[in-house]
Formats: sequence, C-alpha cells, structure tokens
Amino acid sequence: MSEMKILDKTKLVEFLEKLMPDFEVTVPSYNNGNLSFSSMAHARPEIDFAGRPLVPPKEYFFPQQEEMFTFATKEGKATIKAHINKDKRVIWGIRPCDLYGIKTLDSVFLSRYVDSYYHARRENTILMGLNCNEPCEAGFCSSMGTGPFATNSNAFDLLFTNLGNQFLVEIGSKAGEELIERRANLFATASDEEKNKSNEIEKQCKQAFLYSVDQDRVKAALTKAWDDPLWAEESKNCILCGGCNFICPTCYCFNIEDIADEHEQNSTRVRYWDSCQLGGYTQMAAENTRKTQAERLRQRIYDKFSYVPARHNGAIGCTGCGRCTEVCPSEINITHILGILGRQK
Amino acid sequence: MKKVLTTCEFCGCGCNFYLGVENNRVVAVYPCPSHPVSQGKLCIKGWRGHDYIHSPERLKTPLIRQGDKFREASWDESYKLIANKLQQIKEQHGSDSIAVFSSSKCTNEENYLLQKLARAAIGTNNIDQCARLCHSSTVIGLAQTFGSGAMTNSIPEIGNADVIFVIGSNTSEQHPLVANQIIKAVKGGAKLIIADPRQIQLTKIATIHLSHKVGTDVALINGMLNVIITEGLIDKKFISGRTEGFGALREEVAKFTPQKTSRITGVPAEQIIEAARIYATGKSSSIIYAMGITQHTTGVDNVMSCANLAMVTGNVGKESTGVNPLRGQNNVQGACDMGALPNVFPGYQAVANDELRQKFEKAWGVKLPSKPGATVTGAMNKFIDGSIKALYIMGENPMISDPDINHTEKALKKLDFLVVQDIFLTETAKLAHIVLPGVSFAEKDGTFTSTERKVQRVRKAIDPIGESRPDWKIITELSSHLGYKMAYPSPSEVMDEIAKLTPSYAGISYNRLEGGGLSWPCPSPDHPGTPYLHKEKFSRAGGQGKLFAIPYRPPVELPDANYPFTLTTGRVGFHWHTGTMTRKDWALNREIPEGFVEINPQDAAKVGIRNKATVKVSSRRGDISLQAKVVDTIQEGLVFIPFHFAEAAANKLTAANLDPVAEIPEYKVCAVKLERG
Ligand code: SF4
Ligand code: SF4
Ligand code: SF4
Repeated sequence: MSEMKILDKTKLVEFLEKLMPDFEVTVPSYNNGNLSFSSMAHARPEIDFAGRPLVPPKEYFFPQQEEMFTFATKEGKATIKAHINKDKRVIWGIRPCDLYGIKTLDSVFLSRYVDSYYHARRENTILMGLNCNEPCEAGFCSSMGTGPFATNSNAFDLLFTNLGNQFLVEIGSKAGEELIERRANLFATASDEEKNKSNEIEKQCKQAFLYSVDQDRVKAALTKAWDDPLWAEESKNCILCGGCNFICPTCYCFNIEDIADEHEQNSTRVRYWDSCQLGGYTQMAAENTRKTQAERLRQRIYDKFSYVPARHNGAIGCTGCGRCTEVCPSEINITHILGILGRQK
Repeated sequence: MKKVLTTCEFCGCGCNFYLGVENNRVVAVYPCPSHPVSQGKLCIKGWRGHDYIHSPERLKTPLIRQGDKFREASWDESYKLIANKLQQIKEQHGSDSIAVFSSSKCTNEENYLLQKLARAAIGTNNIDQCARLCHSSTVIGLAQTFGSGAMTNSIPEIGNADVIFVIGSNTSEQHPLVANQIIKAVKGGAKLIIADPRQIQLTKIATIHLSHKVGTDVALINGMLNVIITEGLIDKKFISGRTEGFGALREEVAKFTPQKTSRITGVPAEQIIEAARIYATGKSSSIIYAMGITQHTTGVDNVMSCANLAMVTGNVGKESTGVNPLRGQNNVQGACDMGALPNVFPGYQAVANDELRQKFEKAWGVKLPSKPGATVTGAMNKFIDGSIKALYIMGENPMISDPDINHTEKALKKLDFLVVQDIFLTETAKLAHIVLPGVSFAEKDGTFTSTERKVQRVRKAIDPIGESRPDWKIITELSSHLGYKMAYPSPSEVMDEIAKLTPSYAGISYNRLEGGGLSWPCPSPDHPGTPYLHKEKFSRAGGQGKLFAIPYRPPVELPDANYPFTLTTGRVGFHWHTGTMTRKDWALNREIPEGFVEINPQDAAKVGIRNKATVKVSSRRGDISLQAKVVDTIQEGLVFIPFHFAEAAANKLTAANLDPVAEIPEYKVCAVKLERG
C-alpha cells in the first residue's frame, strides 16, 4: 500500500481553496436537493454525503457535447481550428465506481488510438476519489469489485476516506503527491490505528449492500443466453430515451455532426453522447443491425459483461453504480436482469 | 458550467431538469432526481430535444413583409406598424374584427398578458389557443360533470392505483413519465385495461386490450356501464350521496347490452364484460385518457362518458382514483387556466357573468366585452367570410396543426393583417405581414402548469438569441403602443396579479415556487396545493357530480366505396407537434426522419404495397405521399399518420368536422383512399 496521510476534515476546504488559483476545482454539491458536480467558484463541497451524482464525472473528459474543431473555406482555401481543452482541473469527491469508470474509458480513448480531445482533458485533470462509508441506494459495486473502496483498478491521484473527523488520504500518483507536498503543513502521517479504522468502515459498508450480483455466474450464463426470451421480456417497455447509456460511466459511443453557422461560412464539428439503445444508432454506417429492442438490450448487457472484459483483460465493463436503473423511465432494472442471469443453470 | 433548474418545454408531464450553460449556450442536460414526476428520468426529448434553441434558423429580428419577401426591421418600427394597423381595423370594423391566438407552449404569464391585451387593449374576447384542438372537450365535459376540467389526481398517485383504464392515450409515446407510473403500478400488481384501436406499447403489459373501432368510445363505455349496472357493481352510496342524474343514465345504457355494444365497437362481448368487472371492482380505479377521447365530433360526450363510469363506481375523489385527461403541451393546462379561451377570464371565470367581469374591469381599469369570442376553429370561417380582418398569433402553427390545411391556408390568406410571434419562420409565419421574434423557454422566466395542475418555474438560462425578446416583454411593449399601458419589472409581478384575480392561483407566488411546484387549487399563501380533486364534494356548483345519459353517435365521415379506409392521426414519441423544434435535432430526426402511414398487412396486400413503399393517401380535401409502414399492430381498415411532418402533412387530409359544443375537430376519424405512389 502506498503512503497514507491524514487531513483534518475542517481543513479540506482550505486545501481545495488553495488549489483554486491553479485549477478549476470541482466538487459534489447539492442544488435543490440533487447532488451534482459544480465548480467551487460557486458551490461549497458536500463532505458527508452518500451516493453519487446522477450524471457521472465522465463528462469532464467526454462531455455531453464537445466542439472538436471549426472549419471554413475561403477563396478555395480550407482552414481548420481545433478546440483542444487543456483547462487545469481538480475533481474532488469522485466515488470509486466512477474512478473505475474513468479507468475503463481510458482503456478505450487512450489505448491503440489516442483520442486527442479526451487525452488533453484527462491529462490536465487531477482525480481525488472519496470512498463510500455506506452503500448508495441502487449500487452493487461490491459485487463488481469496483467499490465501495477504491483499489489499484480504479483511477485516482488521491483517495480520501471519511474517518469521522478526519480524512485518510492515500496517494495514487506523482501528481497527487505533489499537491500534498505543496500543502504539507495541512497533512499528517497516518497511524496504524487510523488505517485500521478505515478497514473497519470498508468491511461494514460491504456488508450493508442490498444488492449482490454473482459476476462469474452472469459471465457464464451469457455464454448460453444469446437466444434467451429474457431480452424481449425485459426490454418490452423501453421507450428509447437513451438515458441508460448517457449516464453510464463506461459508455463511450458518440455521434458526430457538422453544424453550419447561420451564413454557412464556418462549420463546427461537434460530437455528442450517443446511445446504442436508439433505433437510429449507427444509421450513418447503413442501418442499425440490431433491429429490435431485445437485441439492443442484449447488446448493452453483453457489452458490459462479455465484450469489454474480452478486450480489457477480463476487467468488467459495469461499475455497479445502478444509474441505468435509476434513470430508466420504463423501470428496466439491471440488478433484476443480472439476477435472472445469475440464477440460470 | 452554470446549471439552471427548469421545466421541460415539451409535454404536459412537466419533468424538471437542469440546463448546463457555457458561453451563453445550452450544452448539457442534467435530470432532476428530487422531482416527484421525473425522478431523475427523462424521455429522449428531455435529454436531446433542445438543439433548436441554437439553430441558425432562429428568428433574430422583426420582419416586415415587402411583396413576397420579408425585410429586417427594428422593434420600434414593427410595434408602430402593428399598433396603427390594429387601431385602424378596430376603428373601421370594431374590436371583434380582430382575433388573437395564444400559445400553450408559452408561459402562464405570457398567456395571461396576451388575453389581457386582447380583452383590455383591443376589446375583444376573440382569444383562444390550441387547447381547442386537443382538450377543449375535456374542459367542457369535465366542468359539466365534475365542475373542473383537469386531471383529478396527481401523476405520482397513478403508481398506486390498483386498476388503470387507459383509453385513447398512447401513454408511452406522449406522456412517458405517466407511462412510468403505469408500469410501476402493473409491476406492483395493478390490472391494466387498454382501449385503443392500435396495439400501443402498453398493451404488452395489459391485463386486457379492447381494440374498439375508432369513434365508438361512447358505445364502449355505455356497454361497460350496462354490465356494471346489470351485475350490481355500482357504488350505490356514492351515486345517491354525491351525484345526480342516475335515472336517465341507467335508462340510456340499458340499450347497450354487451352483444349490441360488441356489434358497434367490434370488441367481443366477453371482453366488454371482463373489462367492466375489472374496472368496477377495483378499490382505486383510475381512468387515463388523451386525444383518442377528445378529438372527435363526440369529444364532449366521450369525456362525459368517462366521468359517468367513474362516478357510477365511486372511483373519483380519492387518492390514486379518478379521471385523468393527459394534457399534451407543456402549458396547455396553464393557457386554459390563464383565460386564453374565448368565454372565460383567468380561472374559468365567465366573461358573461356581470359580477366577475366587473371585478376584471376594476382591476384592469377598462370596460370589457361580455360576449364570448371566436374559437380557433370558428375563427377560420370568420376569416373567410370577412368578419374577422386581423389575427395576432403567438407561438402557434395552424398551417400544420389545424384540420384541413388547404382550408386553413385559404382562411389565413383572406386576412387583411396577420402578425406572427414565433421563434422560427414557420409555415404560418411565412404568411404573415409582420413577424416578431420571441424566445425559447431557455431564454425567459415564467411558469408552466403541467397536466397534473402543477405550477412550476421556468428559469432563464441564457440571454435571448440575436435581437429576439421574451414573449411577455413583447406583449407588454405592444400593449403600450396600443395605448393600454402594461408595465411589469418581471414575470414574478405578473404572477402576483394573476394570484389576485384567480382564486385557484391565489396562493401562488414565485417565492413559494422556489420550494417546488404547487398544484391548484391553491387558494391562499399558506395552502399546500391540492394533489387530488373532489374529495368531499365536487367543485361543480352545488357540490354534486352530474351523470349524463349519452346516446351513441357515430363519427361524421365514415369510409365508403370511394374512400374505403379510416384515417386516424396522432403523434410519435420522438417528435413534437408541428416538428419545428424536434426536427432540428439529429438524434430525434435520426429515429424518425419522415412521415409515414401505418397500415395492416392485409390492407397493404389489397392496395398492393410493401413495407417502405411510397403511397399516396387522399381524402376529399387533399392528398399527400409518404412511406408505408406495414405493421400488424393496427386494425384492418384503419390507417394511422402522425401529423408532425410539413411535407406530408396529415392535416391536409383531416376534416374540420367539429364537436358541436367544444368545436374540437375530429382529427381521429376521416375517410381516405390509398394508392401506390
Ligand atoms: S456504487 Fe458503490 S462506489 Fe459507487 S456510489 Fe454506490 S456505494 Fe459508492
Ligand atoms: S433508460 Fe430505459 S427506456 Fe431509456 S433507453 Fe435505456 S432501457 Fe430504454
Ligand atoms: S416526458 Fe415530457 S416533460 Fe418529461 S422529458 Fe419527456 S417531453 Fe419532457
């Protein structure tokens, strides 16, 4: 285990505020009863909260809509201006499930083909995770091995654990370490007692989960479930809203559009979050090969539990955050579906 | 990024979400988990439907017609021109030669101000809006039976009903977050009855699906009532204690034996009996209906039949139990509440009532007209006969939305003067003499009233695009040019005036709305609002509910040898009404890029067409060409066309056959023929 520090809880705001001149500091905060990430320039960080914002922090690397470049032709000459975002940012309070999601996106956007837009944002952002003291309402991260406490398979620069009056802070990267060093006076070295306390919180939290999923049984069931009637049955109410993809911390599909300005002199290429649940998905290539909603739901589950692991050394593609259930207007419930699969012989 | 909490601009569910704003552009949407209806969920329109806000096609300056073109103009010049022209027409032909169409897409404050402009500044009750075309029959039908033309219950209550009867509502597509409650209820064990000539998505989870012929709703419900009365499933105590008129009703429905009803509706007698039993024996049965009930020449009859069914079984006035018309537009409930109707002031206070009129005369400082004005549909004929010379339209597009568009076009072209206030140069705006650029919901403050009677805040997220101005501001400025001064620092003060004059809104203020929406009636500042109506007594004068004996009348234009198919029109979940907003978004357009006609495989074989072939559909009034979608979810003999698509406008085919009372057109039934295109 890497080195551990202690930060007095009352010092967190001071620590983050001191970063504000150099970074856009982003923190979870409540707005009309809803948790979301906000800039500390106009929000106080929420410190003792359970759960996570409904929209995951993936949007800081892969926004809902992103202007990629502007292009124009003038007198037969084309000009292109790329919009690479290099804003320096610190995000505090990212839950382990979302840290895992970012790691999964890294393996998509930063592997063989490096996506320069994602890369620039990712490289300029410091991730400060926050472990969960209690399970969130719909979460099953403990079954996915993605939470409620982060490990090396989650992406983080610093990782905070709420011990009551203090935070235990684990250093995950050089960049994280440097930030602590710059404010060394705020931090103390953690004792064994404090580390034990953290372990105890983790143990208790893991026992409190309402939902558990047998990952291995689900994976095994999927080898035989291709033609199962469950896909049609579970997808029959889907209204094609796209929400389950939009809020999924590991979904990365996007669509690209060229938006002409009013006088059609300049165009901007914009990419938008897309959804494999929509009938028109991949239509630009020809048409959607998955014609029915049953096929599209099947795709979503196979992708997370079979295709992603096959591509990424067995790493599961679902963070267990439960967001796709929460956001679904048709009450399509991922733990229910995984439960059916897990019970199959 | 700034995140601004607001209310969805599309349907009457009234979902809330946050708009994410960067550099005065809406760049993101965040659902709102704490909102009781949306619960962090949205349909695709809520997620993706807002790109039109930044469309390059947005109107950015006022436009004045010059020959067959428009030229850009200043606000001042436009106001002066409009004011002069309207004054002149008023002097020559009287106030009633001017009509105003308000908008159920606009805010309550804007609807209030526009009806005030019509009544106080121009002096006419010729003010109406598209509620005429969707739920005017509800407003009248439920007012006569219950005393209040709105949903009796709140949306979240539906999830706890034990029987849900959906008639004439494709809920999953048109009111997705109401469908959510139905799905929850069914998952919790509720029984679901669907009556619809098409197999809608909810039929997949229905206990029973009654596939009745379009336009036979009165017969179907009379048939169910026949079974309920014959089998003694009525609620005697409720009927005697809380209603009047049961005798006449009993006599009428006695004629509708299951066998006879079956012959009229095409629904097997056993299914009618089963559905009647399920509905009548539910502890909290809730009826949900939409335009399948209202858009008929028997629209008011259909609505009153639903009320009959509920009252005879005592299924109204309780939590999760009642009659729930789903209002389509984001603010069609509010536009009606605000008196954008030809016969009532805000809060449904009759213009013909001397005492009420005097109250408004005193508050507004002018003499007001007492004669009810022209409806949207009635006004069209008055344009043609020349008795109405000028029309001011805010945010409506009758060239796509009204029945029999060829007739509509003829009518609008007869006008001496047409002003259109909109965000796009719509098919209607193209006919105008002056076009004023209003703004989208993201550029102004205000309130919408959702279908569950809930008044909710709309918050300004970005500055107006170009030189466009908030619609409320345009109305006040125009009014002042007309010589009737309107001055409000912001929409909040407009709401304060509404509250003073409208008993059901008396307790509503922007301050209170910060804590979430309020359902009317909300009669005082400490009143929590009213989630469900008619608890101890009906809001009808005298407090009793009224049962009506309703004979069955078939639709006006039935198929015949020349036009052998019945056309029914409607909507799809990916588009909104005349498509001016949703057809500008890549995701929504990608789902459904063009118009289509749904046709049964047997009929397709008869016409000689395959799936995706082009067909020509014609009626006595016009013809359109569009793609065939061959599906087995529609009855034989029936075809369905959504009305969103200007280039294949369903309303070129529909007829302006009107309900005699509500003057709502029979969009759901007309006769057409199909040919290979
Ligand atoms: S899914 Fe796990 S890690 Fe994520 S918020 Fe819930 S409890 Fe925390
Ligand atoms: S959130 Fe639900 S309704 Fe929406 S696309 Fe996903 S499964 Fe379908
Ligand atoms: S259900 Fe209606 S209110 Fe909700 S997001 Fe969709 S269109 Fe908007």
